Amino acid sequence: MYARKGYELVKDLANGEKGQLQPFNEDLFNQVVDQCTQHYLELQALISYGNRKMQEESVDVRETRNSDHYGALIHHLSLIRNKRCLMAYVHNRAEVIQNFAWKVGLELLELPEEIQEKLSPSEKNYFGKHSSALQSYMAEVGIDLNVGPWTDHISVTERWVIMYHYAMVALADEEGYKAYDSISRETRVYDPKSKMEQEFANWICLTKDMVPPKDPYIKVRVLDDMGEGILLSDKTANLARHSMHFLKRTDAEQYIARGLMEELTG
Amino acid sequence: MANYYDIDGILMEEEFVPVVFQKAINGVNIDESTEKGCVEQGSKTELPFWLAHELHMRQAVSISVPTCFNQKTRLEIQADAACVDLRSRCPYFYEFGCKLAPLCDKSIGLLLSYAFQIRYKEVLHKAHTTAFAAASKFLMLLTKEETYLYEAAQSSMLAFKKWRMGGPRLQRASILGRKRKPAE
Repeated sequence: MYARKGYELVKDLANGEKGQLQPFNEDLFNQVVDQCTQHYLELQALISYGNRKMQEESVDVRETRNSDHYGALIHHLSLIRNKRCLMAYVHNRAEVIQNFAWKVGLELLELPEEIQEKLSPSEKNYFGKHSSALQSYMAEVGIDLNVGPWTDHISVTERWVIMYHYAMVALADEEGYKAYDSISRETRVYDPKSKMEQEFANWICLTKDMVPPKDPYIKVRVLDDMGEGILLSDKTANLARHSMHFLKRTDAEQYIARGLMEELTG
Repeated sequence: MANYYDIDGILMEEEFVPVVFQKAINGVNIDESTEKGCVEQGSKTELPFWLAHELHMRQAVSISVPTCFNQKTRLEIQADAACVDLRSRCPYFYEFGCKLAPLCDKSIGLLLSYAFQIRYKEVLHKAHTTAFAAASKFLMLLTKEETYLYEAAQSSMLAFKKWRMGGPRLQRASILGRKRKPAE
């Protein structure tokens, strides 16, 4: 049937759970491409056949030309259809892969192994480029707000809004909490070289939880063996399985996202 | 056109419709059993919607009403819309009907809105009250669109409950799939 392979490929994608990744179906993907080539060849054959017919000027030229025309049209439409299926397959996977960078970790090695195996080489490349773009954007936002010429002219209120936004993120960190606390609305003067200003810039990390926590520390339980002497921002910890810890929220966040820890409440 | 990359859109357009060819067509093999390599004028077959639609616009085929909108289904929907198994008839009943209505039979529109009004009430009611185990039988009857509605209703109910009870904010990224069972 026409452009059937493309449909099978999309069906394969749809059968997986929504928003989650299946292994890249290289085999079927290539079959779709092969089918495209075949449609293209038949389309070419029909067109050149039609052209030859026209030169010969046989009896019912118009009638045959029309039916050749429709034949070519069907092949053409099938090509377009297969293209749409291929694009949708790649596009929808790319969206999931982008989400990994935002929600799980910016380095490929940070992803669980079973996820890494599901990516095709070009998707790994895409993941790497997307995370580095994200990282450089985050770095740039920090720099911009520090040395950008416009920061000299903005009003105190505007500065306050920006600082507040930073503070929301920075609250997750004890240092940030103290710095934030010490800002007084009236007396604060902007100095791009001040240590606090620069630190605020470094705290911007868009992939962190944006809701300000009630406490910079949280209680967690380790769910998997993570090895000994893991370096956290304020100490090294021995994170054995089932052990419970009182960690900085910013440190714990990435491990929770990867399913290595869980947050304890109450 | 709906979103070009929309998976459901693509799957929906693969639904078959019966057509009659108004023109002879050369160089194609629509029916794989015959291998004639051409189609005669007036012959009947079933084509996927995306192809039938394009050919219909060029007056090469005429489209007739597919079985999922036939008289029998209409009668069943009039009897009790909430109990009709629409999924097995057509998983994209509403979307497909909307696309099809202007091409072959305008009365499909009325049928769709009538069916949806009754079934929507049922879907929301079940989503908010039924336990998951009991719902699976009911879920078998729903089309894809109704399933999404059902899931949306259920997840908003869950979110509401979570907001009321409180719970951990940070969780394992859902994108990694279901939690693995801990290795023994």
